[in-house]
Amino acid sequence: MVAFTVDQMRGLMDHVTNVRNMSVIAHVDHGKSTLTDSLVQKAGIISAAKAGEARFMDTRKDEQERGITIKSTAISLFTEMSDEDVKDIKQKSEGNSFLINLIDSPGHVDFSSEVTAALRVTDGALVVVDTVEGVCVQTETVLRQALGERIKPVVCVNKVDRALLELQVSKEDLYQTFSRTVESINVIISTYADEVLGDVQVYPSQGTVAFGSGLHGWAFTIRQFANRYAKKFGVDKSKMMERLWGDSFFNPKTKKWTNKETDTDGKPLERAFNMFVLDPIFRLFAAIMNFKKDEIPVLLEKLEINLKADEKDLEGKALLKVVMRKFLPAADALLEMIVMHLPSPVTAQAYRAEQLYEGPADDANCIAIKKCDPTADLMLYVSKMVPTSDKGRFYAFGRVFAGTVKSGQKVRIQGPNYVPGRKEDLFVKAVQRVVMMMGSKTEPIDDCPAGNIIGLVGIDQFLLKTGTLTTSETAHNMKVMKFSVSPVVQVAVEVKNANDLPKLVEGLKRLSKSDPCVLTYMSESGEHIVAGTGELHLEICLSDLENDHAGVPLRISPPVVAYRETVEAESSQTALSKSPNKHNRIYLKAEPMEEEVSLAIENGKINPRDDFKARARVMADDYNWDVTDARKIWCFGPDGNGPNLVVDQTKAVQYLHEIKDSVVAAFQWATKEGPIFGEQMRSVRVNILDVTLHADAIHRGGGQIIPTMRRATYAGFLLAEPRIQEPVFLVEIQCPEQAVGGIYSVLNKKRGQVVSEEQRPGTPLFTVKAYLPVNESFGFTGELRQATGGQAFPQMVFDHWATISSDPLDPTTKAGEIVLAARKRHGMKEEVPGWQEYYDKL
Amino acid sequence: MSSDAVPLAVSTRQTEEEFSFQRYTGDRSRERAFYLGPSSEGPGQLERCIREYYSVDALAEWLKNVGTGYKDITLQFPNSLVLDSAIVSRQLEEAVSGQQKRRFWVLADTAYSSCCVDEVASEHVASDLVVHFGDACLNSIQRLPVVYSFGKPHLDLDVVMDKFLYTYTDKSAKICLMANSSYTFHLKSLYELLTAKGYTGLVYTDINSELVNDQVTVLDFAQSQEYNSHNKLLHTLENRHVFGSDTVEPINSDSSFQEQDYHLFHVTVPQDPHLLSLTTIFPHVSLYDVQNNEVREGPFPSLMKRYKYMQLARTSSCIGILVNTLSLRNVKETINKLTELIKLNGKKHYLFVVGKPNVAKLANFEPIDIWCILGCNQSGIIIDQINEFYKPIITPYELTLALKDEIEWTGKWVTDFQKVLGSIDEGIKEQEEEQLSGNGDDDAPEFDVVTGTYISTSRPLRELKRLNIEAPSGSEKSLTKTVAGGTVIKGTVSTSAAHLHSRTWTGLGSDFQNDEEFEEDGAVVEEGITGVARGYQFDRRDAERKNLEK
Repeated sequence: MVAFTVDQMRGLMDHVTNVRNMSVIAHVDHGKSTLTDSLVQKAGIISAAKAGEARFMDTRKDEQERGITIKSTAISLFTEMSDEDVKDIKQKSEGNSFLINLIDSPGHVDFSSEVTAALRVTDGALVVVDTVEGVCVQTETVLRQALGERIKPVVCVNKVDRALLELQVSKEDLYQTFSRTVESINVIISTYADEVLGDVQVYPSQGTVAFGSGLHGWAFTIRQFANRYAKKFGVDKSKMMERLWGDSFFNPKTKKWTNKETDTDGKPLERAFNMFVLDPIFRLFAAIMNFKKDEIPVLLEKLEINLKADEKDLEGKALLKVVMRKFLPAADALLEMIVMHLPSPVTAQAYRAEQLYEGPADDANCIAIKKCDPTADLMLYVSKMVPTSDKGRFYAFGRVFAGTVKSGQKVRIQGPNYVPGRKEDLFVKAVQRVVMMMGSKTEPIDDCPAGNIIGLVGIDQFLLKTGTLTTSETAHNMKVMKFSVSPVVQVAVEVKNANDLPKLVEGLKRLSKSDPCVLTYMSESGEHIVAGTGELHLEICLSDLENDHAGVPLRISPPVVAYRETVEAESSQTALSKSPNKHNRIYLKAEPMEEEVSLAIENGKINPRDDFKARARVMADDYNWDVTDARKIWCFGPDGNGPNLVVDQTKAVQYLHEIKDSVVAAFQWATKEGPIFGEQMRSVRVNILDVTLHADAIHRGGGQIIPTMRRATYAGFLLAEPRIQEPVFLVEIQCPEQAVGGIYSVLNKKRGQVVSEEQRPGTPLFTVKAYLPVNESFGFTGELRQATGGQAFPQMVFDHWATISSDPLDPTTKAGEIVLAARKRHGMKEEVPGWQEYYDKL
Repeated sequence: MSSDAVPLAVSTRQTEEEFSFQRYTGDRSRERAFYLGPSSEGPGQLERCIREYYSVDALAEWLKNVGTGYKDITLQFPNSLVLDSAIVSRQLEEAVSGQQKRRFWVLADTAYSSCCVDEVASEHVASDLVVHFGDACLNSIQRLPVVYSFGKPHLDLDVVMDKFLYTYTDKSAKICLMANSSYTFHLKSLYELLTAKGYTGLVYTDINSELVNDQVTVLDFAQSQEYNSHNKLLHTLENRHVFGSDTVEPINSDSSFQEQDYHLFHVTVPQDPHLLSLTTIFPHVSLYDVQNNEVREGPFPSLMKRYKYMQLARTSSCIGILVNTLSLRNVKETINKLTELIKLNGKKHYLFVVGKPNVAKLANFEPIDIWCILGCNQSGIIIDQINEFYKPIITPYELTLALKDEIEWTGKWVTDFQKVLGSIDEGIKEQEEEQLSGNGDDDAPEFDVVTGTYISTSRPLRELKRLNIEAPSGSEKSLTKTVAGGTVIKGTVSTSAAHLHSRTWTGLGSDFQNDEEFEEDGAVVEEGITGVARGYQFDRRDAERKNLEK
């Protein structure tokens, strides 16, 4: 029984003000998919009985088996609101029908990139938090990402049933828990929110927070209760909402509202929230769970809940579920919150446009995005590829930001390396079909106007992971997504049977397509590498590769870690290299770059594609760079966008600009393969101090400059106290008190550093946060389980690059051991070449 | 009218003051003692030793009796042996003086690899015979007759034996003895000695006698053939024959050594390309370094790295064919076939001859994505072990693998031009069939496994068929034309023109026009730097100042 038709939904797409694009985000196991089920059920796609167990959005077999979400899944839902509710919507809307494009995202930290891809195409986020566990590391990570993308959050505090049934808390305790959770979310929001968004903190009294249980299928907002009581008390609804949260008390004797905890006689008063909101719920729970047969019908009648004949025979949890679902249907509360408080594409694109578009803000395409104009040139961002049932083919999943995409339409497909006016990474092709994504199913439609989320058929072979589709010849790209996680864990794969090689290569291609974050490449020594964000991510990727994408037996190496090469100090002397013909000289010094700048480059805040003057301004204002230096940045490296810079500090050197291209090429080469053990450089700033060039152009060509600049960079690097950096995980472990000791001993053994240890108020749970080198994290989960009797389960997410303080050139140190092992593995000479190798005497 | 021709002042004046030449100070007799043996250091011994080393008598004998028709004879020495060239040519002249007038020319500084016969240099003097001294690859050349004199270097067999015993403790191990062509004559004695020590699985190699014909003569070849006849020919390995006693189980002709599990003990350290191909044939390789008398077991060039380069070649758009030999047989055919194959694949190629290739020369050609080198398999192929070259260098065989539709990696490293030609033909046939069937896929980008990205520019010529090539009309002023497929000059797609378009420095206008304080007026002419690169005048000034400070 589907309660709506595709035509109906297609019709709504044109009323963009009535569309909501939203993602569901949360920490792992906080109940996103379960909560989503109740929304899907409301739309009539799954039966009410199955909601809470079906996990409709988990479309893969391993997702169902493991009970975790791995891929984000989209679905379009249709809903109708009452006239009264529609009146309360503060943004423009027309009619009572709404279309909700919902994306359920994975909660495990290893799959954060899926969340990023989901956030890009949505404007609002439903943040789900577990009542008992509270705000966890991944809650913070995804919320931060959402705010970074200018996405408005609403919150659902989930698993209230656990608090009631397992922990048996009192009403006031529960209120305090709720209030603390909301508070800690607001702390995060106020830290990371973009000014443009205005106040996006969440307030229960405004209806931006819901409380409920996904498993039992119920949830409520203060607004719903305010609705009930407003009539009863004859007060204005919005006033009632204010009174139902916070330090607001009702004196039943005087029938007066007060903000004091005690009445005039000093007797304690009950909090309005506890009295009006929690009390009915507690009573229902108590009556049903204690099997008070006579009390139940009275209560039900009072709360106007009608049970069907067969439902009346139920008892215990089953009855509770049915009753609560009738009393406070989760879908109603959530849909109300989503429709009323999350922005429509029209509202959101007005402030998101400039952050989404690479080109100038006054560009016609940027203006079209701002207006969400369906008649303008098409601007569509493909955020990920979704495998189809046809093996090896993908839907391009994305959002129309401007214009309308039609089946059969010819579009320009611009890959991530496209530069306006050039032809690399540009294809002009027809879109075969436009489809609406409905979980694992799709529904074909003819066209799709701006503001909607959509799947496209027939363009997958032109895009690897993401890209921009447009009909305008002058359009720049939509900005590339930056992930909060890095693929720092890598394994080498090889085929067991040499004849399977083509299948492996094809499989690697499909794997890179199907996951936004996984990297596949070849190592220096010619091995095929698959790099993921963590052990779980890699495990899933490799099993997909072996069983699905490649479909051939593979040999997989033990996991290894990606390192970086960096410097600690300025070069102790000016590095000089002469060109092979001795006619040209490059003088330079290397120095460490501030970590904030490196991070800003990695996060895309400082972007090589930005206008250099604007970029210099930002670097001067926010990162204390000298403006002239910042303007004279020649390039970023490696790959033209990495966190290493070349700064031109020369004075009046003739022909200097002529060698810029060669210097840039050499720097990309040098930073891609550092001199210590061929890993990428990071946080290295190279200042070119002086250059001597031959007067004849033929003697200062690329052949002379490229090898020389590379040598000079190496010499400067090795003179500047070279170090290696290793990736470090932030580990969060929640466990009961008695397990804490075991956690510490395992962490100690693994070079872990404890950052904080807190008890979660109102629970016996402890949260331990620690930094753990990725290199030591392999098998960490297992050892932890062993040491704590299976009570501790860690969440590990890449946090930062840590410099290993010992000298990597000395093979007796920790860093030296790592370098030596890697050099041996790559078949390099065991000894790291000294700076003298690259330095030329005058 | 002035009658004296004054040379043009094309270069900086060079006087003794400007330059202090590096003078050669090495002790030659010490250097020679290494290969001539310690006895050469005695007074008056040098002449005798050299005569013996190069088999000058045998050569003279051959010239007198067999090669009577040759008048202009070039003597080719590798760089390490050039110091003996004067003595050898004098001895030769003396030895053949009685007969008709013959002229001897010494060829030094071989253009490509010293193991190959330098036919081009010989043709400069219209020579009709080349005598090649020192280690040789024995690869067949286009037309000139050759006499090889490998030399008889000194080798202390007792030391070699000791090291061998230390390296292989298992006396029944299957071991193949090999050496470069100069040291090969020691192998028989070594084989005898080791067999006497109880090694049962030994085989040894000698020059492949099939390579000797009326055009190719090897001095002192008959004696070694005589010895070989006592043993059994087991296998042919490119330019070597493998011999062993009757008790050793025969090697099946179509199975390689890999399957036979032979370990290789190689006297002398072969050049990288040869070493690489040996490591692909033998499961285990030990090298005996004659300079330091030690056994080396790695690191050797890695075949996996070649695999990576092969993958890189699949998505590169512009291939530079680097010709590193001019005399080897089949080179021209290979070039022609290779360019045909590249074109069929829709890739662009350029042909280069740069003399001896080095980093700077190759980096001058920035638009080239990958180099394909054609050279002698013993030393004419560059194996870049420390990543010093800007762009990777592959062999024709690897390129043909890369140009196949289906990824293929055989684990073999084929360098023989004859075999490569076969696989190129296969490739061409495959491509032609595909084009006939019209199955040429559209312009979808290709997945680059090396970087894990999509490459859209891997086949710049693919659009060529669709291009409406027209002769540039008179009114058209621009040299290049940008079309959907790429940049076109005079009807050909030019990747290098496209590369120039992508440069930030265009060569026109001022470099400073984007600066805020840019002034249109030119600057005042200032005095530049003077002097030569190894010491400009300001360097001298700086040096003087430093001296004064001291």
